[in-house]
Amino acid sequence: MKKRSIVALSLVVLVATALTAATSGASTQKAAANSITVWLQTDAQSGWPDLVASVNKQFQSDHPGVTVNLQYQGWPDHLQKFDATLAGGGGPDVIEMGNTEMTKYMAAGAFQALDRSTFDNSGTWLKGLAASGAYGGKTYGVPYYAGSRVVTYRTDLYKKAGIKKLPSTTAQFVADAQRLMRTNPKKGFSPVYIAGTDWYIAMGFVFDYGGGIAQQVSGKWKGLLASPKSLAGLAAYKAFFNATSRASKTTDETHPNPYDVYAQGQAASIVGPSWFSCCVGKQYTGDTAQFVMPGHVKGQSIPGFLGGSDLAVPATSGNKSLASDWIKDFTSTASEKTLQAKGNIPNSTALLGASVNERAAARSWFVPTAKHWVDVENGNILRNMLAQILTGRLSIKQAAQSASDNIASVLNQS
Amino acid sequence: MTETSSNAAAGTLVTPRRRRRSSARRLETLIPYGLVLPVVVVIGVILGYPLYWLFKLSTEKYGLFELIRHAGTSVGLDNYRSVLHDQVFWHTLLRTVVFTAVNVGLTIGIGMLVALLLVRLSTWVRILLTSGLVLVWSMPVVVAVQVWYWMTNYENGVVNYVLSHLGIGDFYEHDWYATTFSQLSMVTMLIVWGALPFVVITLYAGLAQVPRDLLEAAEVDGARPWRAFRDITLPILKPILLILTSLSIIWDFGVFTQPYLLIGQSKITPGNYLMSIYLFEEGYFKSDYGRGAAISVLMLLIVAALSVVYVRRMMRIGDEVA
Repeated sequence: MKKRSIVALSLVVLVATALTAATSGASTQKAAANSITVWLQTDAQSGWPDLVASVNKQFQSDHPGVTVNLQYQGWPDHLQKFDATLAGGGGPDVIEMGNTEMTKYMAAGAFQALDRSTFDNSGTWLKGLAASGAYGGKTYGVPYYAGSRVVTYRTDLYKKAGIKKLPSTTAQFVADAQRLMRTNPKKGFSPVYIAGTDWYIAMGFVFDYGGGIAQQVSGKWKGLLASPKSLAGLAAYKAFFNATSRASKTTDETHPNPYDVYAQGQAASIVGPSWFSCCVGKQYTGDTAQFVMPGHVKGQSIPGFLGGSDLAVPATSGNKSLASDWIKDFTSTASEKTLQAKGNIPNSTALLGASVNERAAARSWFVPTAKHWVDVENGNILRNMLAQILTGRLSIKQAAQSASDNIASVLNQS
Repeated sequence: MTETSSNAAAGTLVTPRRRRRSSARRLETLIPYGLVLPVVVVIGVILGYPLYWLFKLSTEKYGLFELIRHAGTSVGLDNYRSVLHDQVFWHTLLRTVVFTAVNVGLTIGIGMLVALLLVRLSTWVRILLTSGLVLVWSMPVVVAVQVWYWMTNYENGVVNYVLSHLGIGDFYEHDWYATTFSQLSMVTMLIVWGALPFVVITLYAGLAQVPRDLLEAAEVDGARPWRAFRDITLPILKPILLILTSLSIIWDFGVFTQPYLLIGQSKITPGNYLMSIYLFEEGYFKSDYGRGAAISVLMLLIVAALSVVYVRRMMRIGDEVA
């Protein structure tokens, strides 16, 4: 009898476990009327926390009694969290969106249309960024900032290696890297640290050789990665990576963060957003400078990914006008100037200067503006292709062909 | 006991009492149902309701657009059709079944060996080992993943360091996450490591039920250790092994946290999907919740099919014992 009941009990536990394994729920929380929740990316947390604090202070003095609940999010999973709040409530009143992420959400009606004219410099917003926040003639995203990719390097190590002039072509850069390697015979040391699957850098090579990712031909997306020009770019990336970086061939640019490798003294240069200079380590801050990464043709920089962020108000927000006011403060001329001082590109052409970052932006590329592009990113199609190419598991042509077909089929989904 | 005493009493009773007796009987048959009712209600509410929604969702087109409006449109069995026609689904299913078989096999096999070892150890070594197991058990999965990730790190992981220093080969900057096989092997090690304590301690408790004299008698009769294990220990442990195996199948087939975090989102591709990751990528990343729901219903059916053999055997043992 006793044994039987144990067996019966186990069965109940078994069934219960099986069922709970297959179901899931979302938690909900109700926002107070006198507070707004702001989701910013961790870039702000590490790069310009003082700006965030001062904007909040300003906002609260303009709106007494309103508290700002600031929550920092990471790029890999912030959209899943956002989706959960769309279903269950308790979501943000202001959300930072990557410029490649906007279209899918605008198309689904996830955001509140905003009155463009109420924001500072809206007449001179950067074209690319403004376009990423517009849909059907309405404005849903306010440009926050943009960033191009530059080389952050150790002036002391370059000097020690006898590099008197910064490289002006890819070939020169490789030659300099070899010199750096000779003068720093440390295990694991990278003259130019690049994570193997950092597709933002790899695609720069593809665009430098005149290639591309995908193109719309009479309403249908066509993959371009297997074109001869793209293949030349991928081959150049592979050669550059092998000559300069000791990073894992399969890792992404956040495992580890390139600036952490740099701060540990394991890299003479890193390639990435210009705000990387924030976190190069105290002992190297004085010996750190930046330059625009050269392309394979003398005098031309390598096209950099023009990344950027927009700020949007979710349709589910209970405090839309407060949210819009907060965005106004956070993208004011004064705020944008602070962002610029941190090495970012401000949201307006009227504020543009001549910093290394802004010069790098002169030659830039952007992802295909397709509703399903974000699925290509999340599906790691490009990263997988790069890992296959660098590890030699597939030939460049095979890997590129399969990625190209994959991308076309994802982008052409209804 | 109650049965016999009431029967004995019935023999001396006069007719008017018979009716009361039959109503008491009825009450007696109803009481168990009454006792089980609260549990059924609770399970019905906690599991039945979400399950109902899961099934409903799986027959709807439910994407981001529908999510914001909180209303899907019915599409019948389209989601199921689309999943079953997806090559990725079948590849993932095969990969997951193999992965589950390996994980469950290793968990139960190593667990059994460690449990047998525990019986033979001196008290203080046993206490030491058991404490170690309990420590493993008490470690949150996410923390464990992070520790494993650090240990197998490409740049400065201790595993590469130790292997290189032991002279096994040059493991400096060895990438443990370069191939699907290597990735899933790492995940398997982590899962088996985490699952061992429960299995070992449960089996060790079960081994305490094996009569010592029976084993000694077998030994006297000249039975080799393997024979004694197969013919005496194993049959006694059978119900426990069945329960552990069924639970392990359910856990390992649907495992998500370890593979997703250890491999890392940026390395997840259809080429290394496990079932739960396939579900997550299709449902959440692509914001196609209807299709995601269809995948989880299919997963539920597959797990049920995989464990039905064990559950049936368990039922049979229950009947035999009763």
